[in-house]
Amino acid sequence: MSAPEYGRAYWIALPVGVALMAFGIIGVIGDKGIATSLDIGAWLVGADVAHDFVLAPLACLVGAVVARALPRWCRAPVQAALLVTGVLLIVVFPALRGYGHDQVPDNPSVQPLDYATATLTALAVVWTGAAAWSAVRLASAGREGRRPRSRATPGDRPTSPR
Amino acid sequence: MREQTAPRVFRSPLHDERNASLLGVALGVTFTVCFVTGVLSHLIQDPPSWFQWPSRPAGLYRVTQGVHVATGLASIPLLLAKLWVVLPKLFAWPPFRSVAHLVERLAIFPLVAGGIFELFSGLADTHLWYPWPFAFRSAHYWVAWITIGALVVHLGAKWATTRAALLKEGRRPPETHRETASAFDRRTFLATVGVAAGAVTLFTVGQTVSPLRKLALLAARRPDTGPQGFPVNRTAATAGVVEAARATDYRLRVEGKVRRPLVFTRDELRALPQHEATLPIACVEGWSTSQRWRGVRVRDLLERAGAASDTEVRVHSLQRRRQYRFSDLNRSQAHDPDTLLALEVNGEPLDIDHGYPLRLIGPNRPGVQQTKWVTRLVVR
Repeated sequence: MSAPEYGRAYWIALPVGVALMAFGIIGVIGDKGIATSLDIGAWLVGADVAHDFVLAPLACLVGAVVARALPRWCRAPVQAALLVTGVLLIVVFPALRGYGHDQVPDNPSVQPLDYATATLTALAVVWTGAAAWSAVRLASAGREGRRPRSRATPGDRPTSPR
Repeated sequence: MREQTAPRVFRSPLHDERNASLLGVALGVTFTVCFVTGVLSHLIQDPPSWFQWPSRPAGLYRVTQGVHVATGLASIPLLLAKLWVVLPKLFAWPPFRSVAHLVERLAIFPLVAGGIFELFSGLADTHLWYPWPFAFRSAHYWVAWITIGALVVHLGAKWATTRAALLKEGRRPPETHRETASAFDRRTFLATVGVAAGAVTLFTVGQTVSPLRKLALLAARRPDTGPQGFPVNRTAATAGVVEAARATDYRLRVEGKVRRPLVFTRDELRALPQHEATLPIACVEGWSTSQRWRGVRVRDLLERAGAASDTEVRVHSLQRRRQYRFSDLNRSQAHDPDTLLALEVNGEPLDIDHGYPLRLIGPNRPGVQQTKWVTRLVVR
């Protein structure tokens, strides 16, 4: 196939963006708070690798299992609730592990809650919503089931690649 | 124009240009908001000569930094969803089809790596968690420039594709029909991402929006929790100032470009005219809370010492180490009637962790610049 074509926007944006990146890279190299730029380089590569080769495949795997294992009426609610759960766990995991408070143990105002209970409370809200949504879908599927329905297409149970 | 030959394993119709475009537009907005508010915060903390941050409105920094942190947190699901949608493109083959295409794809690395790094380091900073060997603020700031540069390149490259993907939707009834038939269609997917962003916000934004503080279940801070009912970033013990702050020979000195250098004991400070002000303490980590402070106006001390009316002031702490052992008051901050050296908060003498015997509290300043355990004002 042919190469992608680029309009004027690209040729204007390219030098501007490269200049901004160069400013940031020169800043990294010259900043006294950063002993060696290699450390940041390693963290940037690590961030990318951790996402592309750990988090993303894991999400795909979970999505694929759910898409195959669950009946249709609760599939979308469970997938949605898993997505929200994953995001909330990412946001709270430092507090769950005590990362942060362990560096300032004499400061009780850092991570002051029982985060296991707090997280379960937040997730209970999410999964209650998913349960209610599933119930609605089950009820309407029951009504529709008595009517003739077109066959499922291949795009029928996605959200996650298999 | 579109990438070809994504591996067959990616069968979900959600991996398409329209989802990529919609999430891309959302991220373009949130990253720009984070970048602008972040650079602003950086300028306030390290002002170049051309930058004078005003002392009013008193709660402005609280808003800009609250928006910075809340927008960054809400970007986490947006970025993850976007990366999932475009994941098949990572495996496109051949990897590039022209030099311009190669450059476009190379710029995606700093965009993705920088985006993840900024969101992760920002999240960790709200927890005061620093698992890396470099200074957080330096790294977060410079990588922001790299990320925004890569974003500009990416926007330029995707401008036409994005426009086309967003405009053509109305003319695609067959595909729309197929999506509606599937269990997890576009609308459900995007709504879920929106709910995730909303849930993150709902469960954290109470760290700065106090009516929602009881819902801040996943935030590292609660604006109503800590000594005297609000949080502390650095305790007196960690700062190593407990003895010096309680010592009987504690003094406040006013010196530098003044006609009459002044020295005060604690009792002499209490005997000076006192002024009360309700001001927010707005931390760069994203929490903020308004308290009622009472103490001596910096302006009054400058007048008493015979300082000129256009002076700037450096406020020194008893704390001897670290970056924040002093802070600067520019002209408008030094002479604002609400810029105080506070002795009390909410009618009680300051807790030692809040800066006993004396702390700086001024309108429209980041928390790190509200220097605690103040012992010296140097007029410049």
